[in-house]
Amino acid sequence: MITIDILNEWGADTTEGLTRCIGNEELYLKLVNAVTKDPNFDKLKTLTSEGDLKGAFEASHALKGVLGNLSLTPIYKKVCEITELLRAETDIDYSGLVKEITEMRDQLLSYAE
Amino acid sequence: MNKLENIRNVKRRVLIVDDEIINREILGNILSADYDVSFAEDGIAAMEALEEEGSIYSLVLLDLLMPKMDGFEVIEKIRAHEVLKNIPVIVMTSEKDAEVKSIKLGAADFITKPYDYPEVILARCERIIELSENKNVIKYAATDTLTGLYTKDFFFEYIRQAELFNKEAARDAVVLNITRFHLVNELYGREEGDNVLRFITGIILDITEKNSGFACRSEADTFCLYLSHLDDYDDFLSFIKKRMRDIPHASSIRIRIGVYQNVDKDINPHTWFDRARTVCDILKNDYTKQIAFYNNNLYEQSIFNECLINDMQQAIDKKQFVVYYQPKYGIQNGRYELKSAEALIRWENPQYGLISPGLFIPLFEQNGLIQKLDSFVWEEAASQMEKWREKYAIDFPISVNVSRVDIFYPEFFNNLKNIIESHQIDPKNFMLEVTESAYVDNVEELVEIIEKLRDMGFRIEMDDFGSGYSSLNMITSLPFDVLKMDMKFIRNMQKDEKSMRLVEIVMDIVKFLGVPVIAEGVEEEEQVNILKKLGCDLIQGYYFSKPLPPDEFEKLIEKELEERKNI
Repeated sequence: MITIDILNEWGADTTEGLTRCIGNEELYLKLVNAVTKDPNFDKLKTLTSEGDLKGAFEASHALKGVLGNLSLTPIYKKVCEITELLRAETDIDYSGLVKEITEMRDQLLSYAE
Repeated sequence: MNKLENIRNVKRRVLIVDDEIINREILGNILSADYDVSFAEDGIAAMEALEEEGSIYSLVLLDLLMPKMDGFEVIEKIRAHEVLKNIPVIVMTSEKDAEVKSIKLGAADFITKPYDYPEVILARCERIIELSENKNVIKYAATDTLTGLYTKDFFFEYIRQAELFNKEAARDAVVLNITRFHLVNELYGREEGDNVLRFITGIILDITEKNSGFACRSEADTFCLYLSHLDDYDDFLSFIKKRMRDIPHASSIRIRIGVYQNVDKDINPHTWFDRARTVCDILKNDYTKQIAFYNNNLYEQSIFNECLINDMQQAIDKKQFVVYYQPKYGIQNGRYELKSAEALIRWENPQYGLISPGLFIPLFEQNGLIQKLDSFVWEEAASQMEKWREKYAIDFPISVNVSRVDIFYPEFFNNLKNIIESHQIDPKNFMLEVTESAYVDNVEELVEIIEKLRDMGFRIEMDDFGSGYSSLNMITSLPFDVLKMDMKFIRNMQKDEKSMRLVEIVMDIVKFLGVPVIAEGVEEEEQVNILKKLGCDLIQGYYFSKPLPPDEFEKLIEKELEERKNI
């Protein structure tokens, strides 16, 4: 089960995240659980592999907002990075970045399970 | 105290629009302690919620990047909506460009992503709701519901604000009044009257836009305009005249405009508009002009007039009005024979000294006060006649002025009758001077009244003959017993042959009519000689005497009685 301590160890800024939830730990952990199942992760993977940079940008942008609000810092930073590249429609191979993001998400998912 | 603070405990409803449920939940959790919160997952759902019950929302918190309909489109739809446009929108974004764009579209504020501390979000929401509610309250209180122009109080407050930051700019105060506006309401109904006001408001708004100003409806039919200074008002007036051609019921109304140019910034803005209004009011009875400009003389004149009007009743009570008598001499019987006198009013005002009747009589004629004053003179003159009868055993004839205002006063006949009866005066010795212009204005009605006066025994002198515009044809049908030639004829008659000929023509007309003629304003011996030759019967003027108080006039009576003894 995911806990504040696990998230802290993982690198999340839970103090900031909890502040946004007005100290409501239950809500915060519920939302962290929810984000691990966010379909935008899969969308990002699929659309970048298909070269749909615009669609991929929308998915990464949505993730960026949510991850930032939960202060899941490591994955948030990576999503910010890919979002800016996609916003500029930078023609690069996104698979490496997407893989890193997916692994981080999977790690969180494993805590959740 | 801010009234909104009193109702602060009422929970406002906010709408959170975000396609991400996590964001909605975080924000909902922050706001739900202070607000009732509704959610929409995209722009379309947001517009549906707003259109269904928009008036219940105090605030919309809006994500920008959403599927189906993005936040920018939602802002545009809200701003274009007649009711929803008053709901403030706070956008939630992480990008600077989006902040700028949304503010330009009409967003009230923005919240950054990731979200700031809850306290900051709550403070921003509270501030925006308060500002918006204040703005809406002000909007309703600040504008006249019929025209949408500022109300008077807000107009002056906006002037104060404008002057705080731009005191150096030259400004003009303009007052625009719709004369006879009540006629539109009376003749065509209130709704049409409102249409006229809205039409004129359209003209005013065009003017204020052109001249960097703003305006208010200060009274039912009066507008105040605060404008950038104009040296020349010709184009301004032409513009109004042109636009007025299309106004409904244009023939029933008239626009008059008072302008105080380059206002004095050291005096109160209310005074600027008082001055503009004063000159506007001066045009009330002048149908030849539509626009008048304030200057100090004009203003002082109006203040002076106002004082005279206010002081009039008190002046009667305190005996500040004194009746003087100017003699009329017969010149055709071998000697200058004192025949009668004209009673003339003088005002010994403690503040202004002796005030010329030329200053206050036209003024009192305008507002009807002349009736009181004339009545006072009639009573004084009749009383004086009674005193002289007792003292000299003669009925000395006196003429008094009768204004056109007096004639239509319901108690006119009774008043005159009571005065002569109470002093036991034969009405034939109490002559009534009626100006030629009075005849011209109300010819049929006036002829009837004059005939009635003659039936009562009064004799009528037509005063200022030649100054009005009565036609020769009309003169023959007007009832009067004596004709007083306007003093301008006398003053001009020695100037050239034409003027002299004119006096001769007047004398011929009088001979034809078979009535005696009095020449007024005679000052020189030569004038007397000429008039005598032309057959003029009586002369009144400084050549014989200026108007005198009763005790001095008595010396003339005594001299006359002495001369009569010696004939």
